[in-house]
Amino acid sequence: MGRTAAIMLAGVNLSLGRGAAKVHILKDITLNIGRGEAVGLVGPSGSGKSTLLMVMAGLERPDTGTVTVAGHELNSMDEDALARFRGRHVGIVFQSFHLIPTMTALENVATPLELAGISDAHARARAELESVGLAGRLHHYPAELSGGEQQRVALARAHACNPAILMADEPTGNLDETTGQHIIELLFAAHKARGTTMVLVTHDSALAERCDRIVRLRSGRIDGETAGGGARQ
Amino acid sequence: MTPATASPATAQHDPSAARAAAPRPASTGAAMVFALRFAGRELRGGIRGFAVFIACLALGVAAIAGVHSLSESLSEGLAREGRTILGADVTFTLIQREASAEERAFLAGQGTLSVVATMRAMARAANGQSGLVEIKAVDGAYPLYGTVALDRDMPLAAALEARDGVFGAAAEPALFTRLGLAPGARITVGAALIELRAVLRSEPDKLAGGIAFGPRLLIGEAALRQSALLQPGALVRWHHRLRLGDASERNIAAVTAAARGRFPDAGWDIRTRSNAAPQLERNVERFTQYLTLVGLTALLIGGVGVANAVRGHLDRKRDAIATLKALGATGGFVFAIYSVQVLLLGLIGAAAGVGIGAALPFVAAALFETAIPLPIAPALHPPALALALGYGLLTALAFAIWPLGRAHDVPVSALFRDTVAPERKWPRRRYVAATATVTLMLAALCVLMAYDRRIAVIFVTVAGGAFGALWLVAMLLMQLARRAPRPRATALRMALANIHRPGALTPSVVLSLGLGLALLVAVVEIDGNLRRQFLAALPENAPSFYFVDLQAEEADALSAFVRARVPQAQLERVPMLRGRLVSARGVPAEELRPSPAAAWVLQSDRGITYAAELPRGSRLAEGEWWDPGYRGPPLISLEKKVAEGLSLKVGDMLTVNVLGRNISARIANLRHVDWQSLGINFVFVFSPGAFEGAPQTEIATLTFPGGGDVDEAALVRAVSEAFPGVTTVRVKDALEAVGQIVSNLVLAISSASLVVLLSAALVLGGALAAGHRHRVYDAVILKTLGATRARLVATYGLEYLLLGAATAIFGVAAGGAAAWIVVTKVMTLPFTWVPGPALLAAGGALLATVCFGLSGTFLALGQKPATVLRNL
Repeated sequence: MGRTAAIMLAGVNLSLGRGAAKVHILKDITLNIGRGEAVGLVGPSGSGKSTLLMVMAGLERPDTGTVTVAGHELNSMDEDALARFRGRHVGIVFQSFHLIPTMTALENVATPLELAGISDAHARARAELESVGLAGRLHHYPAELSGGEQQRVALARAHACNPAILMADEPTGNLDETTGQHIIELLFAAHKARGTTMVLVTHDSALAERCDRIVRLRSGRIDGETAGGGARQ
Repeated sequence: MTPATASPATAQHDPSAARAAAPRPASTGAAMVFALRFAGRELRGGIRGFAVFIACLALGVAAIAGVHSLSESLSEGLAREGRTILGADVTFTLIQREASAEERAFLAGQGTLSVVATMRAMARAANGQSGLVEIKAVDGAYPLYGTVALDRDMPLAAALEARDGVFGAAAEPALFTRLGLAPGARITVGAALIELRAVLRSEPDKLAGGIAFGPRLLIGEAALRQSALLQPGALVRWHHRLRLGDASERNIAAVTAAARGRFPDAGWDIRTRSNAAPQLERNVERFTQYLTLVGLTALLIGGVGVANAVRGHLDRKRDAIATLKALGATGGFVFAIYSVQVLLLGLIGAAAGVGIGAALPFVAAALFETAIPLPIAPALHPPALALALGYGLLTALAFAIWPLGRAHDVPVSALFRDTVAPERKWPRRRYVAATATVTLMLAALCVLMAYDRRIAVIFVTVAGGAFGALWLVAMLLMQLARRAPRPRATALRMALANIHRPGALTPSVVLSLGLGLALLVAVVEIDGNLRRQFLAALPENAPSFYFVDLQAEEADALSAFVRARVPQAQLERVPMLRGRLVSARGVPAEELRPSPAAAWVLQSDRGITYAAELPRGSRLAEGEWWDPGYRGPPLISLEKKVAEGLSLKVGDMLTVNVLGRNISARIANLRHVDWQSLGINFVFVFSPGAFEGAPQTEIATLTFPGGGDVDEAALVRAVSEAFPGVTTVRVKDALEAVGQIVSNLVLAISSASLVVLLSAALVLGGALAAGHRHRVYDAVILKTLGATRARLVATYGLEYLLLGAATAIFGVAAGGAAAWIVVTKVMTLPFTWVPGPALLAAGGALLATVCFGLSGTFLALGQKPATVLRNL
């Protein structure tokens, strides 16, 4: 790797459900991701990719093991500390966009900036939206935007606070191929321009191939990893 | 799939055939059946989200059904117990005079006659205590119907008979308490010595009497005659009661007609068992109307809950609607499906309300039979229940058609959107027209079924105005939040944004809480003003005492007596007689159509006086005051509002019966009277000489200018000792007696207002609960973006605080304005703003909003982000 680790997971185990319905999702995951590195998490459905991403984002607590992200050990943080940590260090893009439907595009993007106490939140949000080509859609509500436009708003929101780490969970899963391709271009362009660490969960092997490294999961375990096209460039 | 008669198979294989088959039902009935089938399928998922809808309707309908059922049961009870309440089949009441021998002989010839005399007098105890009593002097035939209950096993005759020259009496417990006596003690009434032999538990004919200023003292007729209270002109009412052998309505009417025909100038007030307590019946009807309006307010607030529930339901069904449309359903058919659902659910809610309301008279009779001195005859009253059901269904429709109309235009493209853009569009014209029609029907029903239509019209106008005003307040609030400068504090910034966003809670909270609070503030303000009027400090220079039944020869002596004891006091005396208005402009009194404000003048006999000069406290409004030395044909001065209410003007002729003599007089002028001064004021003031030779008494007021430290009880004792025939009424006591009744009425209305508050709380809770799913989503996303729990609580708390505060300000202002209208225009009393209870109510509403809202927020904060995100 040759880079300082931005994300370190050691011996992470996670089960969900109770009693007979309890499912062991993540099994003894140990993984380091370097600063500025782009890592693709691939694997079949139910292999634990999205859950692993949530553990990295502090949205899910592991049963055992340690998670250190951007120098912060997440295990010891309470819910509010985790929220503040995400606000400062992590941007997340979801497959279903997860925009707030009652907020305009501009308000959606300004929200993390406002939460971080940034005074010119709306000016910066406007700039972020312009950078993803949505200057003409600032005051539209999510339902008034196409899927691709919604995901671009989500991308602008994820980047708004200039996070060191960007996590994307199947960002093209709900989009058609052309629109998806456009989003991917934006993702990688931002990664390159901003030098962020990027973790990308995807089913799309071609997309994963554009990352520096591809980590394969199967039944909750890391099944192997290979260098991606990004590393070879 | 539209309503289709073509076979599905055909439609599947040949789309053109399906189109040609024109999937339309054969008739409207078939279309309804089709819609009903779909509505049933749609409801398979249960009626989640409709709890508030059903509860709001049930509550409002229950209030109206309950009030009407109880009122009907009471009216029925009054009718059934009419002869007991009246104490006879028919009663002939005379004021200040007994029936003549000829009249008495006529009455005695009709059936069993019982004569009862009632008057007020002073009772004096050997311990020096004295107090006002309501005397009822009865003969041996009393009671003709019902029974008198005493605290001991003793026939009434034994309790009242004279033993060793001392008459007996039974008295209500309050007299024993006031005078500090026990059964067996003796009191003096006028010149009669009376032994209190028993405690009077109940008298069957009590309800037919008016307001009691003192406890009842039941004595024999002989005792009254010996008391020396029956002086000429004394305020005594003689009730000649008849028990008829043939008590049929026809015979009662025949006896009444014969009495009127034979003694046209008798001046008696004739009452039959079917109108035993007309004043009480009128009050019951009036009170029923007020409570119905309170119930309607609850229903209208519930309507906001109905609209919220329907909107929420249709939001959840958006995909299903879009799917139906994608499969060929028309907008009209979609409207029909969901209208049927809403009607079915409305029927469930209204039926539940009807059930609760129908049970109320039974519950009231079972629980409070001994506490309420009213004859409740519990029964089912289908017309009253149908009316309540009608109110409920019309309210449900009035509030549901609008959101249902929007379902007509749900686009199929909704299937391709995760969430839906806020709908700001109006529904189609036909739905707007239907909403307007149903609303007008509701208003018309309210006015047409009202006892007093003027008040119903005021209510409908105020309710419509309040809805409009609250909607404007909500819009204004959202605009203000949108345009407010961006505050530095993030929580405040986000709270402001939450207030103006599409789908914000603002309209729901403002409408439900605003209406509820406005009503509550109106009730507490009216209550405060009435209490102030009757129970608080008296107006400056108001008299402290009235002395009634002053004989002319003792009036001067009383003046001297009082002046010697309290030299600073002012004693004002005027002559007083009682008279009944017989006709005006040649129209008999019973055919006059007075305005509600003037009806009281015709309901009973009125005090009248004569004066050479314009009385103090009066102001000439129209016409000329007569010359002080005027001795011509009788002239009369009339109070202006009464004159207006009876459509009388200067120059019209009036006939008044005084002591069995009809006296006609021309209206010379109209006066404004300041009733609040509590001085001696009369509606009718005659010119001097109109009653020359007629037996009369004087009435006097005693005023202590600037108050003064006077031992009022000692003065009452001294006056009643020295002038046993004079009745002393302490103004404070009289006002307290009236105030107590007013307080009880206001308490009943306040209790009924709880229904409104409950409804408002339901709607508020429902609106907040409906928004809960969105709150959880927002909270999770915001947490993902870095929001801490404290920040979310601060944001939501501030939002509720701002919303609650704005609504509270409006609610207090609107409630205050409504109270001002009621107090000054309906009750014609001066209005004073009573800040304490109103601000308390506003504070309570504010607290309730924040607590309700935050309780939901805490639930939202408790959600684990990953769990929610995984399920989104």
